[in-house]
Amino acid sequence: MISDRVKASLKREFKTSRMAQLGLILVLLVIIVATFAPFFALHDPTEQRIGTGDGVDDDDAGVIGDNGVEEDDDDDIDPGDIDDADEADEAESTDRTDVPPLSPIPGHQFVGETEEIQRVDHEDGTFDIEIVETEVNADRAFPLGTNTVGQDIYSRIVYGARISMLVGILGAGLAALVGVPYGLAAGYFGGRLDDGLMRGADVMLAFPSLVLAIALVGVFRDSGFHTTQLPDPFVLAAQSDTVPNVLIPRADHVAAMPESITFPVTVTLVVALVNWVWFARIARGEAISIRTEEYVKAARSLGASHTRILRQHVLPNAITPIIVLATIQVAFIILLEAALSFLGFSGTNLTWGADVESGRGDLATSWWISTMPGIAIVIAVIGVNLIGDWLRDALDPGIEGESGGM
Amino acid sequence: MRFIRFFLKRLVHSLFVIWGVVTVVFFLRFLTPGDPTTALVSPDAGQDVRDALREELRLDEPIYIQYFEYLTDLMVGDFGNSMDVLDRPVTEWIFSAYLIRSVELALAATFVAVVIAIPLGVISARRRHQPADYSATLFSLFGISTPNFWLGIMLIIIVAVPVGFIPTGNPGPLFYQALGDAVTQGNFGGLWDWLRHIFLPAITLGTYFTALITRLTRSGMLEEIGKPYVKACHAKGLPETLTLYKHVLRNTLIPIITILGLQLGTLIGGAIVTEVVFEWNGLGQLLIDRISSRDWTMIQGIIIVIGVSFVVINTIVDILYAYLDPQVIDQ
Amino acid sequence: MEPLLRVEDLTTRFFTEEGQVNAVEKVSFDVAGGDVFGIVGESGSGKSVTALSLVDLVDSPGRVTDGSVWFRQPEMAERIAEDQPEAVDGEMVDLQQLNSRERRALRGSEFALIFQDPMSSFNPSITVGEQVAEAVEVQKRAKANPRALRSRTQGFGLGKFLTTSMVPTVDYVSDEAHARAVELLDTVGIPDPAARATEYPHQFSGGMLQRAMIAQALATETSVLIADEPTTALDVTIQAQVLQTLAEIQDEHDMTTVLITHNLGVIARMCDQVGVMYAGEFVERGTLEDLFERPTHPYTEGLLGSSPSLDAASQRLQPIEGNVPSLFDEEMDNRCYFADRCPKAMHECLTKPETYDASGSESHSARCYLATQEYDSADALPEGYFDD
Ligand SMILES: Nc1ncnc2c1ncn2[C@@H]1O[C@H](COP(=O)(O)OP(=O)(O)OP(=O)(O)O)[C@@H](O)[C@H]1O
Ligand code: SF4
Ligand SMILES: [Mg+2]
Repeated sequence: MISDRVKASLKREFKTSRMAQLGLILVLLVIIVATFAPFFALHDPTEQRIGTGDGVDDDDAGVIGDNGVEEDDDDDIDPGDIDDADEADEAESTDRTDVPPLSPIPGHQFVGETEEIQRVDHEDGTFDIEIVETEVNADRAFPLGTNTVGQDIYSRIVYGARISMLVGILGAGLAALVGVPYGLAAGYFGGRLDDGLMRGADVMLAFPSLVLAIALVGVFRDSGFHTTQLPDPFVLAAQSDTVPNVLIPRADHVAAMPESITFPVTVTLVVALVNWVWFARIARGEAISIRTEEYVKAARSLGASHTRILRQHVLPNAITPIIVLATIQVAFIILLEAALSFLGFSGTNLTWGADVESGRGDLATSWWISTMPGIAIVIAVIGVNLIGDWLRDALDPGIEGESGGM
Repeated sequence: MRFIRFFLKRLVHSLFVIWGVVTVVFFLRFLTPGDPTTALVSPDAGQDVRDALREELRLDEPIYIQYFEYLTDLMVGDFGNSMDVLDRPVTEWIFSAYLIRSVELALAATFVAVVIAIPLGVISARRRHQPADYSATLFSLFGISTPNFWLGIMLIIIVAVPVGFIPTGNPGPLFYQALGDAVTQGNFGGLWDWLRHIFLPAITLGTYFTALITRLTRSGMLEEIGKPYVKACHAKGLPETLTLYKHVLRNTLIPIITILGLQLGTLIGGAIVTEVVFEWNGLGQLLIDRISSRDWTMIQGIIIVIGVSFVVINTIVDILYAYLDPQVIDQ
Repeated sequence: MEPLLRVEDLTTRFFTEEGQVNAVEKVSFDVAGGDVFGIVGESGSGKSVTALSLVDLVDSPGRVTDGSVWFRQPEMAERIAEDQPEAVDGEMVDLQQLNSRERRALRGSEFALIFQDPMSSFNPSITVGEQVAEAVEVQKRAKANPRALRSRTQGFGLGKFLTTSMVPTVDYVSDEAHARAVELLDTVGIPDPAARATEYPHQFSGGMLQRAMIAQALATETSVLIADEPTTALDVTIQAQVLQTLAEIQDEHDMTTVLITHNLGVIARMCDQVGVMYAGEFVERGTLEDLFERPTHPYTEGLLGSSPSLDAASQRLQPIEGNVPSLFDEEMDNRCYFADRCPKAMHECLTKPETYDASGSESHSARCYLATQEYDSADALPEGYFDD
């Protein structure tokens, strides 16, 4: 499907372009982390750590303050204006039970204690539930801090990568699956069919993607398939007795991870539904330019069927711009998904967008809660965009700027 | 004459698309499972309350009648009443400060984008492979890769919180009111207040566009500069800046205008998110609100207004394009 | 009398990623005022690059690396002599030694160019009349204030651009310039010039557009016109008409012209002197008679075909068998570049010949050993010597 000339051009561009190399590294990084999330995560991303309010708070609130939050605040905020309010906040927050003892600024040296519920198995098969105090080195245990309910931000980012990449790739794939045949048919057959199909596409284009997506989510979220549980094969394998644990590195650790993730079906369908038009436009343009080529006419006169010509001649020629568009679309859909989950339409909250949203209430004090997942989004999208640039520079499909619209 | 024909053709097309938009939006609601009144009345309301609501919303008539009535109502500007606050017409909600705020925000963002991006793109193209170019390229890469809700939050953390006097929630006065105060009473406090409020949202919303236009301007300029007519301009002895602006930049911007028209959707989508981040009481925030309460007449009204403005702006852009690039009409 | 233009050892190279391209190599020629100097040669021999080098319009990665372009302009010579005495010789100024501002100021005021492809040489989104008027305006301003011409912006910065885009009455191009443009379009034989001036390039036919480009070149009332294959992109019938126009205008205005062409008829009809280009070099140069009656270089002979007579020369150049030589520096051997295609190649041709005086006029010269000696078939290289 992809000619040697194209491959050579890709290789040449890749060798000379630092940016292309960086893009590939970033994307591979995100994909690997997403795939092997249970191995990369340090904690169960959904596990909450709720402070008990005594002991820990007194000591550790002080520790946090001395090392980080309060100092920073004093430096940055005009004392006259804000300090009072800030102190009031602080006082209030120590009382609130949902504020964990461990909400450290990432990277700050902090040793604290936490209480964990542990199951202690006895030899006779019975077990006890014990509350054990464990020492936690925040620096290592929660490298990016925790959110307001004590969940490990780093582990959540690792798991969030799964949703982003899955929705991005599946969404762009589905959109291409719908849009490409649609556009090819319109461009290849032309005439009335083309008019009709492209009118339909024009109506689709009249909706800003995010607006349409929100409306569609609004429609579909009450149906049964809003989300689905995707079992995590690594975790299941680590838990099961049939798979020898030696095959799985750190099996105990993996086994403690969530058995499944909530996958936003509606969102995936919706992002495909609002973006297929772009594929249709590109495919149509290619089909029109190829339709009149001599060899296509020749094939037709030799009795080849339309579907055969479309598959054998038109599609292979259209594939380059479609691949470039698909790449740009992945980046775009990752952003779209993030926006949807930020707005709370995703149906799952283990996503980057939802995590950014979860920190919005505490921006002045716990800036890292919103900041960290956002950085993950930027890294992933930059990676994909760089790959898109690389493909575009190497293949030159002439679709600059026609990527889509949120 | 040719121009008028083009104009009329484009207009008919736009009317068709608007009709399509209305139709799609109307039928969207019928895809929702369940009784639309369920979400609207309190769970312990009796059947009679529901029936009254169904009656009010004409839900029991055949769908084509409902469609027809909806269309005819729309023609006279009647979007129905909000399902949530039944006695208040949708138009009254939409055509109010909500719409004005959204438009203000979008215009401010576009202004920021155009003012920054075009010079940046020109500089980048002229100083190709120099530090200025690399910085601009890097900026635009980040700009198109950063989700704007996160950017807004970062601006709040980095700018608003330390600075103090830049508000992060709720919008300020409306521009025309602030301007009125300034003109009639010489009171510039309102304008300052407006500026203070819109500053961060406009940057948040404008960044993606700034980055996009910078990128497009840069690559467009580079492509355009290589064309033979530029050499012909040099050969004529035209001043360099004249060649650069009147010929090269102009021809670069013409196709960018259409791309921007298409990308307007991004701006509107971005506006919704930005409004939520900054609690900017605009149409976007209203839409999100109404979706949560499943207020379908309102949702339909808002989406139609957004869709129609999008179509209208793109029609204007196309006509402008035809005016600027004389080859379009003849195609 | 000194010539108006004297080119000496002009050398232009392209420093591409694939290697160094020697596009123009030590090209020298003189053009007297009012004369037409013709350049012929096959595609890729460096004719266009030579033309662009004369006016400093070679784009990166290309650069004029050597040589001088002496141009007779007494006023300029006087002015330049104050700062750069080495760039001035009597009334002549070496343009190669001037800075880029001075060179730009010369374009449009002293030098005009006509390009090969009229369609791509006009800006598609500006009316033809306006583009011709721009050239008039440059000239007008040059006359009014020669100093300002050397400024990069001539007051037309970004701010001015924005004003002119928004306020229709403010423009770089004045109304008189527009009026003059219409006159010029009339001069070059465009019917209904006032209406056509408001049309866009895509509404013009190729021939009409080339006429408009000639009008544009005329607009500048320059001393030197450089026409790079002005008719190649046109239909054969149109070619004749446009050439007719060009010839008439040249006669009428007595314009000093450097004319690049493929057409021997044009050469015979218009040129006083001719240079034959091969692989970036002038392989033969001389008066019209020198070349047609006494061709010395086998390449020239080949071009002229079997009947090298001035009268029969209405045809296009004869194609010559063999491959166009590579201009990549590393692929160029130190021999006569034509040797692999030369029917008279001899053993000494494996060393590169100099440019020798040839019989005929004093300006007749050829870069070939046959200018100094008779062809000796005993010395010939064996057939297929270069096939490997
Ligand atoms: N921008 C460039 N980069 C690299 N090489 C170039 C460039 N422009 C021209 N050349 C080289 O210079 C040589 C001369 O080109 P030029 O355009 O002068 O040929 P020409 O004689 O005008 O041919 P034609 O009759 O086709 O117009 C060509 O072989 C080409 O390889
Ligand atoms: S120098 Fe020799 S090879 Fe070259 S043209 Fe003259 S005779 Fe032919
Ligand atoms: Mg040429």
